[in-house]
Amino acid sequence: MGKVGILEKIKKRIVVLDGAMGSMLIDQGLPAGIPPEYWNISKPEKVQKVHIDYFDAGSDVVLTNTFGGSRLKLTAHKHGSSVEEYNKKAVELAKEICPDDCYVAGDIGPSGAFLPPVGTITIEEFKENYLEQTKILDEADVDFFFIETMVDIKEAEAAVKAAKKVSNKPVFASITYQKTKRGYFTIMGDSVEQCVEILQKAGADVIGANCTIGSDEMIDLVPQLKKVSKVPICAKPNAGRPQLIDGKTVYPTSPNDFVQDILQMVEKQINVIGGCCGSNPAHIRKIAQLIKR
Amino acid sequence: MDISKECKEAIISGNKSQAEELAKRAVKEGLDVDQIIDAFSEAIREMGDLFEEGEVFLPELMRSAEAMKTAMNILTPLLSEGKTDHILGRVVIGTIEGDIHDIGKTLVAAILSAEGFEVYDLGADVPVNDFIEKALEVDAHLICISALLTTTMIGQKKLIEELKERNIRNRFKVLLGGAPVTKQWVQDIGADGTAENAVSATKLAKKLLGH
Repeated sequence: MGKVGILEKIKKRIVVLDGAMGSMLIDQGLPAGIPPEYWNISKPEKVQKVHIDYFDAGSDVVLTNTFGGSRLKLTAHKHGSSVEEYNKKAVELAKEICPDDCYVAGDIGPSGAFLPPVGTITIEEFKENYLEQTKILDEADVDFFFIETMVDIKEAEAAVKAAKKVSNKPVFASITYQKTKRGYFTIMGDSVEQCVEILQKAGADVIGANCTIGSDEMIDLVPQLKKVSKVPICAKPNAGRPQLIDGKTVYPTSPNDFVQDILQMVEKQINVIGGCCGSNPAHIRKIAQLIKR
Repeated sequence: MDISKECKEAIISGNKSQAEELAKRAVKEGLDVDQIIDAFSEAIREMGDLFEEGEVFLPELMRSAEAMKTAMNILTPLLSEGKTDHILGRVVIGTIEGDIHDIGKTLVAAILSAEGFEVYDLGADVPVNDFIEKALEVDAHLICISALLTTTMIGQKKLIEELKERNIRNRFKVLLGGAPVTKQWVQDIGADGTAENAVSATKLAKKLLGH
């Protein structure tokens, strides 16, 4: 294909990621309790259509439908025997329709398990969990890894190290922060500085934030990341906080409002931008128009 | 330092063995158990407030709740000898079927239990029927049902409907949990309440049960 590596691309201009996958599939009828990764096998055309819509909207990168594809997470959904199948198929679906100059990132979300005192998992189990998933994604030939929505920096660190162990492809690592009166912290109490430092040390090539907070609340986080990060930074805000209106899930931030916030992040020198829950191709189209105009 | 202060400190620092020791000491020395429990409760409420303010985080709050639970396990049996109704109430709690998020629910269970409720935590991905069967089995006062996804919130409605169907709606108070849950939703489906966090959930649970 002869395309430049993703890290080279980031040096040239802001890279546009995709928007939500999960909430898009839910809109198309994914039932509660079924892991979205199951659709890689049972409704591949729907998953692939989401990727196509994002590339059409201007995404440089799509994330595979493997956010909950690790063994711990799939086991919680009683789909633990399908780890390899779901992950492999997800990469195929994205690669089949990926334009030559675009990228497929292997998406890796949290396991859903917690270290003591919140839960009973061990670091060793985290490592195994992510070694398995990153190896499958690597062999299925993703362009890079996107570790995201991590609320525990120790889990994120284990995932980054796993990816770095199985492959020399770039690793993006994105943490979920909450905005408190004292600033941005994970629910475990780690600050932006602490998280960035740990991720950098673990070898992350791009560091960022995603989920939980909306685009307006994420603006102020960008300079904080920028200040401490030696590597490029990325942001994937939600399109607001979900509301149930007349039985339908609604994310309140419109593409226009979303892109206004993104514009401010661009001014604060974000390197990679996309959307999390509730964002859709309309949000991404606006971002792509802004970035690529 | 007086023992109330020590109790508070043990909870705030999340020191389980210290809390346990203090509870044992209170029993051994025949101290006023009510006063001891009040000190513990005050401390856990303070931790809840600090959590809300972003001054402490999940691990600290869980440690405090665990320390308090350990102490309460020692103190509660003693209370029931004299005052049979000192257990604040029996609670069945879980995350609804189809939803495997259980951190919020676990935290509520920990604080409820720390405050002296008898808590039956059914875990995550729990069918409506299991909530009801357990609530009947233990003669619960309260059912707490968590849903973190807008797609699984419908299960909360199903629970209320099922209780009505079986003519047992009035036997239990029903509290709803989960980030997408609003007061409007509580009203729409006819539940008894919701709260922003584990500490206010516990306050609400007490209020609903007349404590």
